[in-house]
Amino acid sequence: MIELPSSVLQVILNFSIGLIVTVSLNIEVGFLNLPQFGRLLAVLSGAIVAAAIPGRIIAASLGLPWGADYAYHLYNFGIVAKINEALSRNPGLSIGILILTLALAAIIGGLIGYLSVYPALRLREAYLGITLLAFGELLMNIAWNYDPLVGGTMGVWVIDPFRFVGAGGARFTFAALFIFFVAIAIYVYAEFLARSPFGRTLKAVRDAEVAASVYGKDIVKIRTQTLIIGGSIAAIAGALWAFFTGSMKATTYTRLTWTFWPWAFMMLGGVGNNLGILLGVFLYTITRTAIIVYKGALSAVIPIDPEWLEYIMIGLVIVAVVLFRPQGIIPEKPTLALPKHRIKTIQKSLEKRKS
Amino acid sequence: MLDLFVKAVAYSSCIGIGATSITLIYNATKTFNFAHASLVAWGMYVVFASTHLIGHTPYHHFLLAALFGSLIGGSIYATVNRRLLKAKAKEITLMMSTLGVDLVLYGFLNVFSDYLLRVHRLPAKYFIFETRDIAIVLGPFSVRLIGLVAPVVLVSIVVLLHTFLTRTKLGVSMRAGIENPELASLSGINLEVTYLIAWLVGGALAGLSGGMLTLVVTGYTEAGMTMVVSFFAGAIAGGLYSIYGALLGGFLVGLGEYLGVSALATLVGGWIYAYRPAIPLVVIATTLLIQPGGLAVLWGGRK
Repeated sequence: MIELPSSVLQVILNFSIGLIVTVSLNIEVGFLNLPQFGRLLAVLSGAIVAAAIPGRIIAASLGLPWGADYAYHLYNFGIVAKINEALSRNPGLSIGILILTLALAAIIGGLIGYLSVYPALRLREAYLGITLLAFGELLMNIAWNYDPLVGGTMGVWVIDPFRFVGAGGARFTFAALFIFFVAIAIYVYAEFLARSPFGRTLKAVRDAEVAASVYGKDIVKIRTQTLIIGGSIAAIAGALWAFFTGSMKATTYTRLTWTFWPWAFMMLGGVGNNLGILLGVFLYTITRTAIIVYKGALSAVIPIDPEWLEYIMIGLVIVAVVLFRPQGIIPEKPTLALPKHRIKTIQKSLEKRKS
Repeated sequence: MLDLFVKAVAYSSCIGIGATSITLIYNATKTFNFAHASLVAWGMYVVFASTHLIGHTPYHHFLLAALFGSLIGGSIYATVNRRLLKAKAKEITLMMSTLGVDLVLYGFLNVFSDYLLRVHRLPAKYFIFETRDIAIVLGPFSVRLIGLVAPVVLVSIVVLLHTFLTRTKLGVSMRAGIENPELASLSGINLEVTYLIAWLVGGALAGLSGGMLTLVVTGYTEAGMTMVVSFFAGAIAGGLYSIYGALLGGFLVGLGEYLGVSALATLVGGWIYAYRPAIPLVVIATTLLIQPGGLAVLWGGRK
């Protein structure tokens, strides 16, 4: 197995996870104009699923403690180490548990999306944004304080379904590439979604809700479906992140990283446009990695800690985009219902019929 | 017990003042101000730095914190908000722009705190100013001054804002601009002045509440980000359309965080203390889902 250098892995990982979350955000914000300020909620629920459920299932089948004891920090490390050992010898089980967890995370994320429908139908704009934000923080607070779930303030170790390829660099390379492929698959799905009749319906509802409902589109159903899809995808990102990092601590899931940054990527690239989002996430990931890699050189030139430079930079990007280029780097284009060449042939045949 | 009560009153007053800032800016400009977090934190650091560098008690520097907040608020309006309002940007866009500003202010606040640490050797990462508070002895009781000052400031702000909005020409025209921008601008009211005043006053209130909070909570650069949820909760519980609602809402959220939790702890047990940060969140969620009008419906809505 090839081992990639850690900085390359960081780029691949941050890009992939960022892409998944931002794509999910774009489906809700870009396609339907829902002020989703609670992206953290679905991401965190996905991470909790990955940290709390598969480990317990295997622990129970191996005869290890799987109740509240599982998340108790003095036992957890030992239990997870034993599980990882079992997993490293059994690729089939590892892949099975990985797929199963991602599916479960998607279901829970979808459920979270479904539950967000109630506020999403009652409230608008800033009110809805703040409510969703509050829900995300609330879940974080519960996960931080309720020990039996994911270890509370001590956190828990997360089982490692990538261990069967070997330890160390090989494992990280394999895991990063796997996450990258998931991200690409989700991106392709979102692109199909944007071009599908459903995607066009979303944009129709976004641009003219009344007109869309006059034409018989069920606004409630459309909002529900969109929130479920967005929640599912975001939860997958959370689960993948928890698996990759191998540990779970609630406070590392902040509204800044998992809600506001994806918003910034989306606004930079172009709201409502998948390709723009890909570009936005890519540009930001590259810049951020460059700041980290050249930290030493940077702090010699400017007298401030590069960590704060990152905040200032991302803040300025948001402000600049909002002020000078609200449509983003790649503005959204109308999606065509049919391929271009077929539209042209139809056009020609119509012109012929006229003459 | 008395100490807890004093602290709760002081904290609640600060939250009430900050919630008023959010409400004022939201009403005037339809901007839900995420930069409030950093405004509050800057207020804290202004008091911290000037108390150490200039001297005197923290109380001497509250006004400076308010002025500084006002300056930042005015700058936010002049550089970002004004352009967006002119372009008739959507509420979400306005909100996102203040988030960008918040990150910039947060970045610079950390730079400032690094500077205080490195150049002036001040403990700028975490600081506790409660010990610098002045104790007032009333017979057998000793009360911290902030417990008296904060509610007095809160009440004076109510009186001042009320007088400004109902008795002065500028205040009345400002209210008109908020109620009906089109009609107001037709009758010759300069809306830009309305917006600017909202940001200046809002910024001052945010800075002031941050400055006073140095005597109640631990100061650190992320303090604004942590507490902003309580400010949002206060503004929303107040209905987001009424400055009196915001004052009351903020006060109640603050009391809930301190006294409410203590009361609950005697009922269900001490484990509930850990969930204190959840209280403002629960307040936000329940207000918005059950009665989005907030406390302001008690006296018939907007004012």
